[in-house]
Amino acid sequence: MIEKREYELFIGPNHAGISGNYSLHLTLEGDKIIKAKTDAGYLHRGFEKLMEERLFIQNIAIVCRICVPDPDPNEENYARAIEEIAGIEVPERGKYIRTLVLELARLASHLFTFGGHAGSIGLYSLPNWTVADRDRIMELFEELTGGRVYHIFILPGGVRRDIPKGFKKRVMEVMDYLEKRLPEYDDLFFENAIFIKRSKGIGIMTPEQAITWGATGPNIRACGIPADIRKDDPYEAYPYIDFEIPTRTEGDAYARAMVRRAEFVQSINIVRQVIENMPEGPVWNKIPNPLKWKVPAGDAYVRTESSKGEFAYYLVSNGGQKPYRVHVRGASVTHGVHILENLLVGARIEDASQIMFSLDACPPEIDR
Amino acid sequence: MEYKTENEIIKEIKKVFKQAKCSIKKERRIEVILNKRNIMEFALRMQKNWDFPHLSAISCVDWIDEKQFELVYHFWSYNKKVLVSAKIRIPREKEPHTDSIASLWQPAKFFERDIHEMFGVVFDGNNELEKYILTDWDGPPPMRKDFITREFALNFYSYREYNPEWLQEIIKQGDKND
Repeated sequence: MIEKREYELFIGPNHAGISGNYSLHLTLEGDKIIKAKTDAGYLHRGFEKLMEERLFIQNIAIVCRICVPDPDPNEENYARAIEEIAGIEVPERGKYIRTLVLELARLASHLFTFGGHAGSIGLYSLPNWTVADRDRIMELFEELTGGRVYHIFILPGGVRRDIPKGFKKRVMEVMDYLEKRLPEYDDLFFENAIFIKRSKGIGIMTPEQAITWGATGPNIRACGIPADIRKDDPYEAYPYIDFEIPTRTEGDAYARAMVRRAEFVQSINIVRQVIENMPEGPVWNKIPNPLKWKVPAGDAYVRTESSKGEFAYYLVSNGGQKPYRVHVRGASVTHGVHILENLLVGARIEDASQIMFSLDACPPEIDR
Repeated sequence: MEYKTENEIIKEIKKVFKQAKCSIKKERRIEVILNKRNIMEFALRMQKNWDFPHLSAISCVDWIDEKQFELVYHFWSYNKKVLVSAKIRIPREKEPHTDSIASLWQPAKFFERDIHEMFGVVFDGNNELEKYILTDWDGPPPMRKDFITREFALNFYSYREYNPEWLQEIIKQGDKND
């Protein structure tokens, strides 16, 4: 009789098939994973501590760096938490521009994830396409905010500046382009026999597991639970916009990718509605001199639906010029640690990176 | 605004926890201030009786002047669409202890591990409190308010003075402009 032997495998932290600087420590029996441990800390920059040492306004340049592919929910959360504590209102047009920025960020982030997911199963053409298409959104961001990746655009009280002349038309053109590209993505990836065969039945999460493990965002919607903060706990211009929450019931890697694809269509639809219905008016309500601004004492817990799931900030002010405490609850703290460790058990080694990408785990959010 | 659901939830909480201070902060946000002994029972009822299946986060705040740590548990209900933030205070010691809720909520394992690492709070009943992000660090928990980053950096790292002439000139000009 052949003795069963276990061996250990370390994947990462240098982007080897996983998203970001993160490390997986797998225990294997043949090709089967019997135990998985995650290891973070390669991207720890101590942002929460750093923010306690800086003025409220200075931190806006820090928060966006917490999640690299999807930075805007951070700015949104941080600004909204301060507004809630200080009782600042955002003008209607400001709300619409914020929604536009958030949805463009979601589109860009989903394009990244499509590419990553395809790359993790050996379909290397799609990453080249999606990253090139993401660049069109980056160009819009550059025109609107001055920054391609990090925008530092959403301030307490509104947004930094109004949209440039002719911007609406260019956004619509990019949306038309992305919509036209989707059938091509289908041919290459979403309807590709290799993708379907590789992803169906991989990393299955039941609805009960999704709730007890704390899944959010597209991952919980792929299990048939239509939970979306944009609908359940609405913010900015989302209450005025008509959109659907796509769900699927299988709960596997395929379902998660297809939910993201359906969300992509919805986001294009939201961007169009925002552009069409955007009211006139100011985009920013003046706040006190930010260099001397003392935000009144209080605390607020704000949540945003990022492309990866629930993104939340707990902000405490003690009445000083600097935040007393900022707790960042990234969307990936459940997906990238507990859920990933659970879903990897019993999977085969070649599916490990696909499971990570299908959960859309973003390590910088875990490290902060 | 009527806050119908919010008031109903507070009524339910008040029935069991008479000492708890409940308030509605705004629409869909409830704050509950609890005694630290009650957190386990509160969490159990939140999950089993009051339909709050999602633990969104656990936050820790270091109130150094009051010599207390504040732990804030954020619970979300998918059906009622309300977020309850339950706050407890524990004494600020070298190694403060409190009950773990990881047996009820699996995501709590990570949140408690993070707080243990960053603030040094020990959660009794959570057996996965080993280091995660700061594996090479054996100093004091860094998120505590008495750990001062600047002081640590000055003591730990060496640097060399750099003050060339061109920089001095710029600084002088800057002074004039003021």
